[in-house]
Parts: sequence; structure tokens; C-alpha cells
Amino acid sequence: MLHAAGLRKTYKTPAGDVNALLSFEHSFASGQVTAVLGPSGSGKSTLLNLLAAFDTPTEGEVWFDDVAIHSLPEKERAGLRLRSFGFVFQSFNLVSVFTALQNVALPLGLAGVNRAERDERARQTLDRVGLLHRADHLPHKLSGGERQRVALARALANDPSVVFADEPTGSLDTANGALVLSALEEVAAEGRTVVLVTHDAALAGRAYVRLRLRDGVLEEVEREPSTELEQEPAISVPDPRRARVEAVPLASR
Amino acid sequence: MIPQLAFASLTKRPLRTALTALGIAVAVGSTVVFLSLGEGMRRAFNEGMAGLGPDIQVSYGAFDATSLSSVPQLPQHYATSLQEVAPEYGISAVTPVLVYIRGSLAAARAFVFYGVPIDVDLNRMYTDFAIVEGRELGPRGSEPSAEGGVPVVGEAVVGEQTAERSSINVGDVLRFNPSAAFEVVGTAIADGGLLDNAIIVPLEPLQAALGAEDRVSFLTLELEDPSAASATAERLSQTYPELGFQTRSDLSSVFERAVRISDVIRLGISAIALIVGGIAVANTMLMSVFERTREFGVVRAVGARPRFLMGLVLLEALLLSLVGALVGIGLGYLGVIAVNAAAYDVIGLDVAALTPRLVGFAVAVAGGMGLLSGLLPAARAARVPIAVAVARE
Repeated sequence: MLHAAGLRKTYKTPAGDVNALLSFEHSFASGQVTAVLGPSGSGKSTLLNLLAAFDTPTEGEVWFDDVAIHSLPEKERAGLRLRSFGFVFQSFNLVSVFTALQNVALPLGLAGVNRAERDERARQTLDRVGLLHRADHLPHKLSGGERQRVALARALANDPSVVFADEPTGSLDTANGALVLSALEEVAAEGRTVVLVTHDAALAGRAYVRLRLRDGVLEEVEREPSTELEQEPAISVPDPRRARVEAVPLASR
Repeated sequence: MIPQLAFASLTKRPLRTALTALGIAVAVGSTVVFLSLGEGMRRAFNEGMAGLGPDIQVSYGAFDATSLSSVPQLPQHYATSLQEVAPEYGISAVTPVLVYIRGSLAAARAFVFYGVPIDVDLNRMYTDFAIVEGRELGPRGSEPSAEGGVPVVGEAVVGEQTAERSSINVGDVLRFNPSAAFEVVGTAIADGGLLDNAIIVPLEPLQAALGAEDRVSFLTLELEDPSAASATAERLSQTYPELGFQTRSDLSSVFERAVRISDVIRLGISAIALIVGGIAVANTMLMSVFERTREFGVVRAVGARPRFLMGLVLLEALLLSLVGALVGIGLGYLGVIAVNAAAYDVIGLDVAALTPRLVGFAVAVAGGMGLLSGLLPAARAARVPIAVAVARE
């Protein structure tokens, strides 16, 4: 369980202090896609940076299970990101000099997995997103959709509990965007927490929980009726739309 | 992972990598050439010392530039005196030597006449002395030469290189001055460079030709126990305070001190090139870190610690420097060949040498320079804020 309480992030600027996020409080349940919505400058990315242990809050707490992320030193935050978190970014953010396979193997290598095992596991993960045949291609040889699927494979390589996706469909066409979103839904269905940051209301509409931010303040929390926290199952029951997505393995799309 | 990523990053931008490595190569190459001069001088000196038989050299007063002046200073009676006390000091042989340098503006055309007793064993004076053609010195009386009526007062053995350079053959007559000439009876080689410009002639005719019948340039002493040279020289200098006694180690230390001073000067000049090379590495790495800010942010986002990026940048800087060093040593080697080719024509000696320790020094300096140049970029890479880096376009 990922939980934020009383989160505030204030940036100091020459023009004075700017509150990017104020008094944010929410629990992100496992097995769900939670969308964070809001216009540009509403504090979405700031929230993601704090939840993902990229940055530390000015005030407040972030807990992952019983780990107080907000007070961890950088060395331990790096370890947490490596072991428990996965990331998908809008602009793919693959290491340009690494092949698709090497990109997926990167977190495994950082975790100290030996070369043979990490290559095997990276191949399996690439196979899962249907890109094993592109394993030895550099990122610039891949299409946008393929790059994002490689990024997703990299996010899943270390079997994380939480996957953060920051505008993951922002650089993709509609078809590829739908594919990536379906994949994230599948990831959530495995019992992981998926935090999806987007300004696209249609995309957020497919999430079980939607958090609306404006000017750094959490304005509204919308939940699908079947996923009220008090009724939350360990793994969400897929709706017919998700069931349709899951019926087609990612690799064959 | 770090070596894999470092190698991939360097090879992704081959032109930049090659140009930076070339900058280092030029810096290292020039350093190698500069420092090879000191190494060459050491080698030539050590070879010369190895080829120098005597354990102690005796001069009149301290040995300095005047000791080899055209007018010999040392009265020859000291040879007799030292032979008398030889058993007391463990001296096994005393050899008077008269050196006369027939100079030339071109050093390669200068001759050094060594006057030695006719019965001296040249193997004692020069290591691995060997006659190449003809024979050793022998006694002969004065007789007129075929050319110009200048009397031939003795025989001469000429160093092989001198013979080749000056087209001197066995049977030729060398006119020393209007009243003396020497007939070449042999050519010889020896270890080191001491015979390179040498013409060995009998002592007495040379003294007579110079009008210095009772004087020599120096005496050479051989000891029964060469390892006691310093102690013996010390004792002798108390008995003969007017004389100078130099051991090989004295000469070596004086020479080593002089070469070290010149090493420092040459290293100082080289340091300019090395600093420029280091700045090139630092500049390349800073540019690389700046360009890869987002990539570094991503690597940290997926779990790398700051020290991973620090290690990555330092390794890249080190690899760049070492590749540059290897190319630079190759360039330096070509430079050494060129310098020696030019120097040999002028002074008949190889003045530069690429020794293993110079290669080691160049690699170590380049590696240190690489690490030092990579420190600032590495620290900057390690401080990349993830949130800012991953959002960067």
C-alpha cells in the first residue's frame, strides 16, 4: 500500500515561494489503476516525484507499506526504486546507447543479477510485451509504441509492487496509446499499484480511481462504484472492457 | 553494467571520442618525447659507465671541465706513487691516460685521442673490447710516412663507428700535427659509447706530440674489491689531498642529479600539454554529462545510486585517457626514432630512449589525468536531480 499524508512541496524561486502541492492525502490501493488528473501546473508531476521517491516533501509523509519514504536517505530511496517501483515516462526515456534487451536488463544489472540470468529474465519480459524479436535493436530503430512497450518491460523487470506512469500515452498515437493503457491495466490486475499521471480525461476515465488536482490541491476523488476502498478486493474484479483486453495476450497485439 | 554502459557511450560518439583521445595522445606523445631525452642520456651514460673499466678515476684537483683540457694537468709521477702504495689500498692496476680532443663544429667529426701505455690490457679499460679488423697496438719506432714526410710515431686503434663515419681504414695514416702521425692498425668495438669517437694511441708518442712528456689527463685505478671504491677513494683523498678521486657512483650521482634537473624542466614543459589534454577530457565529459542529463536521471530513477553515475563518468574519462595514452606512446615512439635519427647525425649517439618505466609513467600520468579531469563531470552527474532530469526534453 502506498500512502501519502499531509504532503506539501514548496519551491523557492526568485519571485518567492511557490506551493506546488498542498496538504495532499490519499492511499493508493493495490490491484488498481489510480489516475492523477489535472491541467498543466496542477502539481501532478510534483506528486509523482514525491510518491516515487525522486524528491522529498517540504512537509508531510509518504509511506510504502511500513517504509517511511519521506525520511529515507538517497541510498535507500534508490534501493526502494530499484526493488519495488517501476517507471514509465511520456518520452520513453530509454538509454539511447543500449539495445531494447539491455534497457530491460538495466534494473536487473543494478540489482546485481548476473549477466546470464538478467538476459534471460529481460528476454522473458520483452516477450511478454511482444518485442522479443526487437531485443537487439537500439531505441532509435523502434517505433514510438515499441519504445513505450520496452519502457514498460523495463518497469516490470524487477517485478515491482508499484508502477508509476507519467503521461505514458502522451507521445503515442491513439492505437499505441490504447495498447499501453491496456498493458497497464493488465499490470494492475496482477495485484500491483499503478499510478497514472495524465491530463487526458478520456484516458483517466478507464482508471478505477481518479484524483483531480488543481493548483496543487486535491480537489476531487472519484471512484468506480465497485472499487470503494472499504469494498476493495485484493485484486480488482475486471470490468468487461478489461476482460476484453486481457483476453488478448500483449505479445500478440 | 558500468563498463558496458561506458563503452557503449564512448563508441556512440566516435568522432568526439577519437578527437579527445587524439588530444591526449598528442599531449602524452610530446611528454614521452621530452622525457625520453633524459632516459636516453641515462642509458648512454650507464652504458658508458658499464664500459668504463676503472673503479676509481684520479684527476688533478676535482674533476671538472678543465680536467680534459688540451694541456694535461696531472703529473705522471703520481702513477708511480700510487703503484707503490697499491697493496696498502687494494689497488690492482694503475693506468695513466692522456685524453686529447680534436674538436670540430660538428660533434660527429670530433676525435678523441686516448693515450694509454702500449702494454695496457684494453679489456680492463673497456667492457667487451674486441678488435673488429686488424690488430691491437704494438711497439714501433719513428719512421717517415708516405705522405708529406710527417713521421709516424705510433700505431692507432680506431673505434669502429669513427672509422666508418670518417672512412678510416686499417693501414691509413692519421696526421696528428706537423710532427706526428699514427698508423691505423685496427678497428675496435666495446660496450657503451666510449669507443664511438675514440682513437687509441700509445701514451708516450702522444705525450711527446703534445709536448707534455710527464703529464696525463687522469689515472685509472682498478681495485681488488670494486665494492670498496668509495671507502678507498676517501682514504686516498686523505693521503693525496691535492688529487681528486672519483668513483663510478660519484660520477653517476652527479650525472643523475643533472639529468633529474633537466627531467623537471622537461616535465614542466610537458605539463602544459598534459594540462591542455586534461582540459579536453574534462570538457568532453562535461559536455557528455550535460547531453545525457535525462539519461542519467532515468538510470537513477530505475534504482542507480549516485556513485554508479560517478563511477560511470570516471571510467569513461579513464578509458578516454588510456586510449589516448596508448596512441600517444606510439606517437612518442615515432618521435624518439626521429630524434635519434637527427641526433645520431650530429653527435653519433642515441639521445632518446623509450624505456618501460617511461611507458609506465606515461600510462600512469594519463590515467591520473583522466581521473582528475573526470572528477568534476562525475560529481555533476551524481548530483543530477531525478525529477528535473527525467522531465528534460
